[in-house]
Amino acid sequence: MVAIADSVPKPAARFRFILDRRDVLGSLMVGPAILYVLLLVGVPFLMAVYYSLSAYTIYDPSWSFVGLDNFEDVVADPVFRQTLYNTFIFTFGSQLLGLILGKFGALVLLRPFPGRKLVRALVILPWAVPIALATVAWQWMFDSLYSVINWTLIALGVVTRSDAPNWLGTPHLAMLSVIVVNAWRFFPFAIVIFLAGITAIPQDVLDAATVDGAGFWRRNYQIIMPMILPIVAVGLIFGIVFTFTDLSIVFLMTMGGPVGATSVLGFSGFQTGIVSGDVSHGAAISLFMLPVLFVVVVAMLRFIRRREI
Amino acid sequence: MGSGGNKHNRSVTRRSFLKASGAVGLAPVLSAPFVSGALADNTALTIVQWSHFVPAFDTWFDKFAKDWGDKNKIAVTVDHIPVQDVPARAAAEASAQSGHDIFGFNGSGGAHLYRKFFINLADLVKETEKKYGAVSIIGKQLGYNADDGTWSAFPDYYINFPGMYQKSLWDEIGMKPDTWDDVRLGGAKLKAKGKPVGISLGHSNDPSTTWRGLLWSYGASEQDEAGKKIILDSKATVEAVKYVAALYKEAMTPEVLSWNDASNNQYLASGVGSYIINPISAYRTIQQSNKTLADDIFVIEPPRGPVKRIMGAASEFYGIWKFAKNKEAAIEFLKYYRDNWPEAFKASSGYNNPCFANLVPKPMPILSNDPTSTPPTKLAILQDSDKWSAIPGYPGPATPATDEIYYAFILNDMMAKAATGASSAEDAVKEATQRCEAIFKKWARRT
Repeated sequence: MVAIADSVPKPAARFRFILDRRDVLGSLMVGPAILYVLLLVGVPFLMAVYYSLSAYTIYDPSWSFVGLDNFEDVVADPVFRQTLYNTFIFTFGSQLLGLILGKFGALVLLRPFPGRKLVRALVILPWAVPIALATVAWQWMFDSLYSVINWTLIALGVVTRSDAPNWLGTPHLAMLSVIVVNAWRFFPFAIVIFLAGITAIPQDVLDAATVDGAGFWRRNYQIIMPMILPIVAVGLIFGIVFTFTDLSIVFLMTMGGPVGATSVLGFSGFQTGIVSGDVSHGAAISLFMLPVLFVVVVAMLRFIRRREI
Repeated sequence: MGSGGNKHNRSVTRRSFLKASGAVGLAPVLSAPFVSGALADNTALTIVQWSHFVPAFDTWFDKFAKDWGDKNKIAVTVDHIPVQDVPARAAAEASAQSGHDIFGFNGSGGAHLYRKFFINLADLVKETEKKYGAVSIIGKQLGYNADDGTWSAFPDYYINFPGMYQKSLWDEIGMKPDTWDDVRLGGAKLKAKGKPVGISLGHSNDPSTTWRGLLWSYGASEQDEAGKKIILDSKATVEAVKYVAALYKEAMTPEVLSWNDASNNQYLASGVGSYIINPISAYRTIQQSNKTLADDIFVIEPPRGPVKRIMGAASEFYGIWKFAKNKEAAIEFLKYYRDNWPEAFKASSGYNNPCFANLVPKPMPILSNDPTSTPPTKLAILQDSDKWSAIPGYPGPATPATDEIYYAFILNDMMAKAATGASSAEDAVKEATQRCEAIFKKWARRT
């Protein structure tokens, strides 16, 4: 009889029982993250979509629906088309350069040498330094009057003062400059990704390839790269998404100049939507990123899944 | 009656009491983000404005505001933010309907853009005009709404853009940069000596301001006097653009294409630049770093064009949000600030220029006799800078449309394209006109 009375579950025990269920615990744990994404990403995103379809400006915060008029205006602007093109060049140029630097950096850091741990820690610095500080430093390096890069080139006799590169004043060089700064920011992340991937490759696979006569390049391109491609693709998705939506480097270094040569979507959307107060057109410019990013991310995720199978 | 009938039958259990008190306790926390910030607060006043280029002005202003607050038993808070953050901050405060009471705004069209968010300050402006003389053209451009006679803002000051030149260099060639032609011809001679002219063709405020001044001096402008129509595509504009192309080729170097607002200051300070157009901050900085060079740098009126002598200016105004918690104190503070404006003028070392005729009586302190300059009358010409200064939008009002044209750097690019040969002057003007018209058309639908 006592046993029957004892078998009645106490509330605390029932609570523990619920938490023991994986589905309930899982939902509880992931709940805050979903809430965060919904509130801080989902809601602003939906607002941006609505802004882009409305006549909303800071002057007249009206929500009247205008359909696709804002998108039509934006597409009709030749400067916007130039901006879209610049965004692709900036994004893929800096990702490519960042990946190349990251790959070589990872290969260097895999080999043992004195101070390797310190170098591994230092190499993360570009990623950790606040972008505003780093960009100001780069701005001085590319400065028309005080460029340390030009000073070095002149000192080495490579160029004279009069024909030294005008880094931020010549359209192609200005684009190259912002690409270099973004690649410099991105490459520590690429190094970490490559290091994680390469160290996960079983040593016996590499040893077998070496015994079979595979040299450095063959091992690199026919064994290592294919095996780490899924993890590199994940890193690349991050890089592309962050770069495609970034405006900080352009805003701090060139303000889209010279003659719009470095204007990118994020910058243009900010200037139109926030600085000039035309929120609806600013949102339309910013939302142009969405289909591009969607296609890129879906394609890369499909690629990763196929590789894993 | 009906509801009262159950009153005595209710029992307050410990559980229901806890529930009720918990709900009451949580309510402010949960509802805080949705509650309007417009609840009146007569004990505090908050102000936000840019971090002034002259740090001493901020120090003076903070103390001035605090002292006023102490006298009136109001806690005054002054926040200073970087100038480039001002538009985003204003947009955030307007969207949230919450923020500072007084918003110190940089940029010409802000008062018109935020017109529906700012209270009407017509009484304050009229009272100020009675006490200190007529408001200037810049002041009117900044805050006056011609359609209903309201004032969205109280014009605080403008920052003039005089010419600055190395006198010894210009004396050597027997010239003075008095007209745009002098700048080009003399600049070409000095460029040959390794001392070019330095006026930016990049994306920043200085070229946006300077090239507008050049356009106006040629009799051209982006919009008409009523602010209703784009009139950029004109013979005068083409002539002005051709002039810039010639100036660039003959008297400047390609580095001006990359410049930001600090670059021309550095150019003059390096001793390389023979002439720039800039607020006197450039000169003040050189005074601190290189006294010999500073003594050789002279401040001159901006160049006269074929039609008139006029130059762009930067501007600052105060708006009071409709959702401000302490509007009365905000207005009282602005009155007190206005009545002590000569002190503000001195604290800014003559950088802030008044928008009312007699706000700082002439001879103006510092400008008429600056003991740090050799000769002390070096800055005297700036006392009359209201005669040759205007802000974007001139000869019409500053509007959201003219502001967008400004922030899209359309006129800068028009000049740069012609200068670098990427377009002919005619094509550059046509393209810029189309872009301006598209912006005007867009805003016409929405204002």
